Amino acid sequence: MARSSSKDAQDLFRALWSAYAATPTNLKIIDLYVLFAVFTALIQVVYMALVGSFPFNSFLSGVLSCVGTAVLAVCLRIQVNKENKEFKDLAPERAFADFVLCNLVLHLVIMNFLG
Amino acid sequence: MSKLILLFLALIPLLCSSFSPETPSDRRVLVLLDDFALKSSHSLFFNSLKSRGFDLHFHLADDPKIALQRYGQYLFDALILFSPTIERFGGSVDAAAILDFVDSGHDLVVAADSNASDLIREIATECGVDFDEDPAALVVDHSGYAVSATEGDHTLIASDDFIKSDVILGSKKIEAPVLFQGIGHSLNPTNSLVLKVLSASPSAFSANPKSKVTTPPSLTGSSISLVSVIQARNNARILISGSLSMFSNRFFRSGVQKAGSPIKHEKSGNEQFLNELSKWVFHERGHLKAVNVQHHKVGEANEPAIYRINDNLEYSVEVYEWSGSAWEPYVADDVQVQFYMMSPYVLKTLSTDGKGRYFTSFKVPDVYGVFQFKVEYEKLGYTSLSLAKQIPVRPFRHNEYERFIPAAYPYYGAAFSMMAGFFVFTAVHLYSK
Repeated sequence: MARSSSKDAQDLFRALWSAYAATPTNLKIIDLYVLFAVFTALIQVVYMALVGSFPFNSFLSGVLSCVGTAVLAVCLRIQVNKENKEFKDLAPERAFADFVLCNLVLHLVIMNFLG
Repeated sequence: MSKLILLFLALIPLLCSSFSPETPSDRRVLVLLDDFALKSSHSLFFNSLKSRGFDLHFHLADDPKIALQRYGQYLFDALILFSPTIERFGGSVDAAAILDFVDSGHDLVVAADSNASDLIREIATECGVDFDEDPAALVVDHSGYAVSATEGDHTLIASDDFIKSDVILGSKKIEAPVLFQGIGHSLNPTNSLVLKVLSASPSAFSANPKSKVTTPPSLTGSSISLVSVIQARNNARILISGSLSMFSNRFFRSGVQKAGSPIKHEKSGNEQFLNELSKWVFHERGHLKAVNVQHHKVGEANEPAIYRINDNLEYSVEVYEWSGSAWEPYVADDVQVQFYMMSPYVLKTLSTDGKGRYFTSFKVPDVYGVFQFKVEYEKLGYTSLSLAKQIPVRPFRHNEYERFIPAAYPYYGAAFSMMAGFFVFTAVHLYSK
C-alpha cells in the first residue's frame, strides 16, 4: 500500500504541475510576485521570533506591507484571469488601475507606521 | 552718636577670635579642678596645652562664680573636668549645662578616679560610657600590672592595648605602655559613636582591692575600657578617662615595666599618648570640611539645572583637613559619591589630585526623577562629612531619540523592497503579452 500511495502522490504532483504549466504567462508573473511577498513576510516573522518584537510598530508595518501587497496582487490576478466568469465584463485596465491606487494607499500607510 | 554706636556694634563680631567654623581648634578652655594643687602636679600636661596656643582658665569646681555661658553666648570653647570628687558644681554649671555645652558642638575632657562622685559618673553615662557601679572598685590586673619597687595591690597597671588609628593617636608608634590607676568603664556595644582608645588586658577585672572578691566582677577583660573617646554627630569630641593620676607629672616622668615583659622603658607612654589624644580631642587633627561641590556635563563648564538620562557628567568636591593652624588638603582613597534617589543608582570612589580636589565622572542612569549627589563619609577618628545636592533628571525629548532603530532595519528593508517590487511588477505586467 505504501508504494502505491507514494506513487499516487507523485502522480498527483505531476498532474498539478502540468495543469499549472498551462496557465497564461501574465498570471504566472503575478503568482511569482505573490510568492515574493509571502516569502519576505516569513523572513520578517522568523527575525522577530529570534530578536524579539522591540519596535513592534516597525514589525507590523513590514509584515503588513508584505501581506497587503500579496492580497492586492491576488485581487488583481482574480480580476485579470480570463477564465473567471464573474469578472467577464471588467476591463483588465480597470483592474490594474484599482491595483495601483490601492497599492499607493497601502504604501502611504506603511511609511507612516514604519517609524 | 547713634551712628558711632552702630559702627562699634558692627565691629564686635570681628573682635572675637575664638572657635568658629573657619578655625575649628578650640582656644579658650575652662579647667575645673578639685584643688589647685593639681595645677602644679599636672603641670606638664597643662603646659603642653598652653604651648599649643590654648588659653586655660583654672577654677575650683565649686567656685560659685564659674559659668559656661552668659546671655546665650558660650564663654569657653572646651571644658576639662579634673574634679572627680565634686558632688555639685558651683555657679551655673551642672550636668545639664555641661551636656548642652557638648550638644552645641564644644569638646569635653572628663577624668574620673577611684573616688569619683555620682555627678561625674552621671555625666559619663549621658555621654555613653558606664563606669563600674561599685564605688570602691578599681581596675586590678594581676598579670598586666606595672612593676614597681613595692609590691602593691596591682591597681597600677601598664597597658599598651591602643586603638589602631593614626588620626587619633598620631602616626608615631607609642613604644612604652601607659600607666593607669583608677576605675574602669564599659561601652554599650550598640553605640556606634564611642571608641575604646585604651583597653585593659584580658586578665584585668574591676573590683575592690581591699576586700575579698566573692561574686564574679561585672567588668572583666578587654571589655574594660580605660580611656574612651566619643565623637558626637555634631562632631563634638569627648574624652573620658578613668584615672586622673594618668595625667600627672609623676606618671609622665616615671619609667614603666609591664609585668611579664623583660623590657624596662625609661619613660612611660603617658605623655605621648595624652598629648596626641588631646590634639585629636581639640580638633587639631582629623577635622574635615568639604567645600566647593561642582558638577557639570562633560565638555561644559557651567552647572546645568537639569540633566537628561544617559548624559555623561563630572562631579568634584574639595576636602580639607584642619592641621591646627591652617586647612591642609585631605588625601584619602575612600571618599565616595552616590547618585541617589531612594537608593544609590551610582556609587563611585572619587579620585584625588593630591591637593584636596576629589573628582569622578559617570553616566546618568536610565531612570528619570529627582536625584541627589550624596557624599556620606564616616571614617574612624575623622569628622563625618554629609553633603547632598539635589538635581533633577529628565527623560528624552521627542526629538532626542535615535531616528532609525538598528533592530528594525530588516523591517525597513522589507517595506522598501515591497515598494520596489511593486514598481518592477507594474512595469512587467504592463509591457508583457
